Amino acid sequence: MRPIKIEVGVLARADGSCYMEMGNNKVIAAVYGPREVHPRHLQDVTRAIVRFRYNMASFSVEDRKRPGPDRRSHEVSKVSRDSLAPVILTSYFPRSVVDIFVEVLQADAGTRTVGINAASVALADAGIPMTSLISACAAGKAGGHIVLDPMKQEDNFGEADMPLAMTPNGEITLLQMDGDFTVDEFQEALELAKDGCQQVYEIQRKALTDRYSQMKEGDLCGDANPVEEAQAYE
Amino acid sequence: MSNGVISDIRKDYLYQLMLKGERADGRSFNEYREISLKQGIIKKAEGSTCVKLGNTQVIVGVKIQPGEPYPDTPNRGVIITNAELVPLASPKFEPGPPNEVGIELARVVDRGVRESGSIDLDALCITPGEKVWIIFIDIHILDDCGNIMDAASLGAISALMTAIVPAEQYGLGEDYPLPVKDIPIATSAVVLDEGIMFDPDTDEESVADTKLTVITTADGRICGMQKSGTGFLDQDQIYRIVDISCETANGIREKFLEV
Amino acid sequence: MDRMDRDVVVPGDLVSDDPQKAGEGTYVKDGKVYSLLYGLASSYKDGVRVIPLAGKYVPSVGDTVIGVVDDIVFSNWIINVNSPYGGLLHISEYPKKIDMNEMSKYLRIGSSIMAKVKDVDSTMKVELTLNDRRLGMLKRGRVVEISPTRVPRLIGKGGSMINMLKTELNCNIFVGQNGRIWVDGNDRDMDLALKTILIIEKEAHTTGLTDRISEFLKTEKVARS
Repeated sequence: MRPIKIEVGVLARADGSCYMEMGNNKVIAAVYGPREVHPRHLQDVTRAIVRFRYNMASFSVEDRKRPGPDRRSHEVSKVSRDSLAPVILTSYFPRSVVDIFVEVLQADAGTRTVGINAASVALADAGIPMTSLISACAAGKAGGHIVLDPMKQEDNFGEADMPLAMTPNGEITLLQMDGDFTVDEFQEALELAKDGCQQVYEIQRKALTDRYSQMKEGDLCGDANPVEEAQAYE
Repeated sequence: MSNGVISDIRKDYLYQLMLKGERADGRSFNEYREISLKQGIIKKAEGSTCVKLGNTQVIVGVKIQPGEPYPDTPNRGVIITNAELVPLASPKFEPGPPNEVGIELARVVDRGVRESGSIDLDALCITPGEKVWIIFIDIHILDDCGNIMDAASLGAISALMTAIVPAEQYGLGEDYPLPVKDIPIATSAVVLDEGIMFDPDTDEESVADTKLTVITTADGRICGMQKSGTGFLDQDQIYRIVDISCETANGIREKFLEV
Repeated sequence: MDRMDRDVVVPGDLVSDDPQKAGEGTYVKDGKVYSLLYGLASSYKDGVRVIPLAGKYVPSVGDTVIGVVDDIVFSNWIINVNSPYGGLLHISEYPKKIDMNEMSKYLRIGSSIMAKVKDVDSTMKVELTLNDRRLGMLKRGRVVEISPTRVPRLIGKGGSMINMLKTELNCNIFVGQNGRIWVDGNDRDMDLALKTILIIEKEAHTTGLTDRISEFLKTEKVARS
């Protein structure tokens, strides 16, 4: 797996943010929300809606890209949203929206998984209640071998690409695949990708906990009255 | 931070400070927030810079590719400047193609680059009438905490100054640094009654109704100007702004861009 | 197993093996308690809770908040309370009897008010009121915004921190549950008050803060005289 660098809370205006590098990928994710939904007709009176917008900067790729979404970014946005929505407690915030934005500043294969990883950290940074973080990683096949986290060269000339996202408990929220796998190869790739996701999770978790490393008898709670009812999950 | 209406209390406070010659963050009227530039951060771009101006953050990427010249200038290179005010940078930015604010920003930055003669377009001809170098200046706003105009303009010239023309990959000779002949710097000021404040932050921009951007070159010539907002400007204010702009621009140029 | 007190946790971290101990900011799954938030795990008498390090203000009945008038629609002032939910201040909740067409005379767009949350329904429709002597329009002073998650620390146990600030700073200070704080006093005292509040916000999670702030204020005041 390519080296990862994470910085939490890099933007002043967004509610939560995360800058992430994975190999030569450079991505920044930001979360605004929960906030009021515009246009109003999109709102759900029982829960928050989750929106995800993946966008690539014109200078992020070899051949300058025309600005604006294309079909690929629409698809990436949709599957990315679907990878994170299952862990977000949307019922806590009726009639609102959690907006997630990912901007790819430099692309080198696997931007959607980096985007999801950064978005997951940004959601935590924004204080959005979630049942867990989501970690993503891809496996592929190049030169007949199953490889973890394929780079651009491997991706272009590879024979299969399979991005995966999951909770640390192994519940899968993103699975896509294109190329050519035998069933055995697929299983091998899945195990490899799951392993990669675990490694990513550890790094995400550490980035978040390191940020407040000066943890002692801190008194953040002050005078707040603790609510003593159990909160059953869903 | 709330992104709605700015409160009367806040407006009054800014006015009171202005009357005393002060600003909310303690700066003087002509003072810029802390600037930092990180050049060459986007490897896929031929030139790039991330600018931090206070908390405002902007990335500008320069891509250089061969292409067709415009029919009316068959032997000159082409500069295309675009700004993306992406929604992650501010609760006020909506997804979609650039609106009038984004278009204005790109055109003003473009004006500075073009009219200062910083890029010699004639030198960008490859095959007359057929092939020239196209320079894309792509401005990507990341965090709007005020004065994205100056940050974008600074990012653009910095990215151009560090750009390499990728001749090799197109079989057009060796790579060479893009020749940049001048260093235009944009400085913007907002007018709050009698107060003229440079490098406005978010609140100052909301409260003021007039802004003037002046772009000056290394030898003190003015190569671009833009008044925006719905208020009035009088001649004296304009002259004062121009004077301070030249001085401030020199300071920024010396500190950050001159070799 | 219980989380050590004041551990930083992320969503999904295990905080207790005992479902009876599930407090705020946690959820129960398969008989164990997990964190819902990025925050500090804190155990108290009967349980474990997670105190958020970030998050929006969600209006709750009885809260006192500082709001700004965003709009006037028919008989309601629409109030921004720094929340995903706007507050509605109905004309009948104004302490004086006024006509619908006089509303902007009393509270116009941009006016700041200290209001109380009267009601919140299941769709998060929030109703505010000014019907209380201590509530009303803020005419003087300054308002600063901090993260609502730091408000309890600013108040302190039994009001220890906020009372200390009011005395040492010689200012009127009102802390809204929604993270907005109003201070009123002379200019220099207000400057110091705002500076102090922002330090408290930044260091809310550290030890011995009340004492450090007390020291800081004493030093500042000596430096002044």
